Amino acid sequence: MTPLIKVSNLVKRFGGIVAVNDVSFEIHKGETLGFIGPNGAGKSTVVNCLTGYLPATSGKIEMNGVDITDMKPHQRAYMGLARTYQIPRPFPELTALTSVLASSIAGKKRINQSFQDAMYDATHYLEFVGLFSKRNILARDLTFYELRMLELARALATTPQLLFIDEVMAGLNPGEAKNAIHMIARAKEQFGVTIFWIEHVMAVLMEAADRIVAINYGAKLAEGTPDEVVNNDDVIEAYLGRGWREYA
Amino acid sequence: MVEMELKRDRIVIRLGTKKWEWVLEPRYWRNTLIWVALLFIAPTVCYFVSPGLINTMISANIYAAIAMPLALMTIGTGRMNFGPQFYIGVGGYTAALLSIAYGWGPLTTLPFAILMTMIAAFLFSPLVIMARGLYYVLLTLLLPLVFLEVTFIYTDIFKGDTGLFGIVPLLDTGNAKNNFLIIGYLSTVIMFAYLWVINKVLKSRYGLLMAAINDDEDVAHSIGININKVKIIAFVAASTMVGIIGWFYAHYFSSFAGITYLPLTFMLKILLVLMIGGRAQIFGCVVGGYFVSFLEMLLIRYMGPIQPVLFPIILLALLFALPEGLFGLYRKRRYREYLPTIHVRR
Repeated sequence: MTPLIKVSNLVKRFGGIVAVNDVSFEIHKGETLGFIGPNGAGKSTVVNCLTGYLPATSGKIEMNGVDITDMKPHQRAYMGLARTYQIPRPFPELTALTSVLASSIAGKKRINQSFQDAMYDATHYLEFVGLFSKRNILARDLTFYELRMLELARALATTPQLLFIDEVMAGLNPGEAKNAIHMIARAKEQFGVTIFWIEHVMAVLMEAADRIVAINYGAKLAEGTPDEVVNNDDVIEAYLGRGWREYA
Repeated sequence: MVEMELKRDRIVIRLGTKKWEWVLEPRYWRNTLIWVALLFIAPTVCYFVSPGLINTMISANIYAAIAMPLALMTIGTGRMNFGPQFYIGVGGYTAALLSIAYGWGPLTTLPFAILMTMIAAFLFSPLVIMARGLYYVLLTLLLPLVFLEVTFIYTDIFKGDTGLFGIVPLLDTGNAKNNFLIIGYLSTVIMFAYLWVINKVLKSRYGLLMAAINDDEDVAHSIGININKVKIIAFVAASTMVGIIGWFYAHYFSSFAGITYLPLTFMLKILLVLMIGGRAQIFGCVVGGYFVSFLEMLLIRYMGPIQPVLFPIILLALLFALPEGLFGLYRKRRYREYLPTIHVRR
């Protein structure tokens, strides 16, 4: 079976700094892949390269066997990639409904989709994330949690195959975070999306992820089931420092 | 007796058992018709009362018709263009030179004026992809000024110092007053055509994509909008609409001089129209156009030579006093649009 995404030897340099160094991994259809690493490890850079926001210096990205390395972000969106941002980036002057409507119109091409059809679609996704009552409020007036949910709705409205989630927990209180995690699980179930999940909070990924990839200094440290990865010596060293055994 | 009651969105008038309602909403069909009818009756009234006012009305309609495509361009490209008068120059000079050289009438020069502005806009359209923020403003600001220099350097072609004369007039009925009246109606028709087209575009799915680009280009790209395509189409289409105004100017005055339209003073008026109307709101552009045009007439009549100095001062004062523009005053009280009005914050 061909993997949904196959990343081979991905390298990204910013001038002299190597942000991503020779990273290779695969994402399989229907799984939840966790992506962990300490601060500055290059997690977001990998997502930026995969969604086309940054061009890769070298390496190859394939989606369903098609080379998408040189594709523009909107072409990748047509192929079925969608993302959320670590710090929410809404369309501040659009209402919640029209933000989702824009991505429902712009995302993957749907045949004979009228403006009204797109509106129904957008309403459905907005209802799914629980923002229906806020549909006519400008996005800049929403709270942080609502912005997160709006981003999720906006990403889902492009009908993606693969959804990149960048730090859903950051800035949310425990109750909201629980809701958000629940929402992502439901999205996976209802819309059949594959999820690529970057997260700092290990406990979340231990439960939700099927597999985890850990990186540090732009290079891959470990890959495997959550249990394998958290017990990997390299991963623990990356998080806790070299002398962790003395205190263990 | 007649009872009148002012409700939030309507005036209710009762007489005995009969009842009339008047909905106070500009997009309500009856109110739209009233405004359109007023603007169409006004030139005829001016014709009998004070024919000079028709001239002011023509310039008001034309200011609005320049500001509206500029609003579309600002929203569609997500950048503020400071040199739309460049395309007035291109369209105007094309029409003027062709008309003088071959004796062509306005209908024959129109397609060439459109074609030339489209080509010029297409040549400069990479600007909307490459330049952002201040660089874009500077580059677009320089374009008309460079063109002005060119008209002086190649003065044997463009007649930069005297202006081009002898262009075939827009129409000739033999009576100057009647000419004014018909041209007044023509300008109103152009203005309403622009208003209708741009309003339709902004309310359509393409308007929504433009709004997304206006708000955040990178995010718009990542949700699957082909931003370069949308930006270039918006830029070229809006520039072409401005170019048609150049054609109108050339044939209306039977003369065309770059020095009238290309310098910053003309741009300032357009900016005033855009800002007083309310930050790139197309209905506001009509209000702003009439406001600026009548203000200009009054200033010229009563203030004389100090008039060019007063204009920027008024612009600054209004930017402080009315950040949302004249139309924004109305908007704030009655915000009931289902699709939001697109705001430009630049």
